[in-house]
Amino acid sequence: MSPQPLSAGFADQVHEAQAAFRSALDALSRPGRTVAIGRPVAGLGLGPAMAHLLLALTDDDTPVWWQQGDRAVADWLRFHTSATLAATAPGAAFAVISDAASMPPLAAFAAGSAESPEDSATLLIELASLEDGPAVEWHGPGIRDKQTVRLAGLPEHFWTQWQANHASFPQGVDIVFTCAGAALGLPRTTRVRRLEGI
Amino acid sequence: MTNDAINENNTARRRWLGVLARASRPELEQALSTLESLPPIEHVRPPEPGMVMLRGRVGGTGDAFNLGEATVTRCALRVGAGALGVGYTLGRDRRKAELIALFDALMQDDTRQAELEREVVGPLLDRQASQRDAASRSAAASKVEFFTFVRGEA
Repeated sequence: MSPQPLSAGFADQVHEAQAAFRSALDALSRPGRTVAIGRPVAGLGLGPAMAHLLLALTDDDTPVWWQQGDRAVADWLRFHTSATLAATAPGAAFAVISDAASMPPLAAFAAGSAESPEDSATLLIELASLEDGPAVEWHGPGIRDKQTVRLAGLPEHFWTQWQANHASFPQGVDIVFTCAGAALGLPRTTRVRRLEGI
Repeated sequence: MTNDAINENNTARRRWLGVLARASRPELEQALSTLESLPPIEHVRPPEPGMVMLRGRVGGTGDAFNLGEATVTRCALRVGAGALGVGYTLGRDRRKAELIALFDALMQDDTRQAELEREVVGPLLDRQASQRDAASRSAAASKVEFFTFVRGEA
């Protein structure tokens, strides 16, 4: 027996999975806009949005890489969705990052190939806040004019790495930032400009 | 996936899960009604029907092939703060999968195991054995021996 009891998954599998998937689509098609996802899962060391995204998006074809090797959480996901564990970051279809400050560079994750850019990884990054970090300006598909986003807790070179990620389009990773029950998408099509001194 | 090394009770558990899966739903409901009130039940995986691929072989040496798919319903739940019980059963009977998981969870509780073995699993096992025995007897009674006469030299 695992020392920590397994937590439940979706209470209403079909509708909650559809709702979470719809929210993920909304988040990625309207970059920078916060969407609400999920309901807290009792006894689980993940935020509601992260838990519901993982339940809705992963299955036995999508290896998941965990930045922090929390056994109970990985067992929980494997029980509910049969998602396998990715041993290394480049082999992952989804990466769960709970400490953004020490995350590997974006180039460490699968970016897909020119023939199949869809083979890239999707990063799920839990942040302390989606609202009170340094301001950056986002442009691109799904954004009218510009969108100012304030993500807290990202590493120093993150936006430089993001520019390289955006430049490698159609390859590159997509990111969904989560904070408790909220999620915010950053697809590879989004251009980012840093605002100094705000 | 076998975890025999982790849990030496797996053989016993496999046996009672088999007995429970072969039991009928009324038998399980009846057995449940004999229990005193239970702690609250938490569904870790609500009952869900799905499919499993059945594999078979032609003869003892043939290659395995996919015989066809069978509908299976599974469920996982916890009774109070006890162990996780799982139930798998052929067919689409969600309630039966739930009952099997419930009894599996209770059977893993050492304080209840002996009583449940005596009151629930034992009688179910006896009934299933006698049914199987009766079926094989009626089949044996209709057995026809085929044999071939040795052909003559002529």
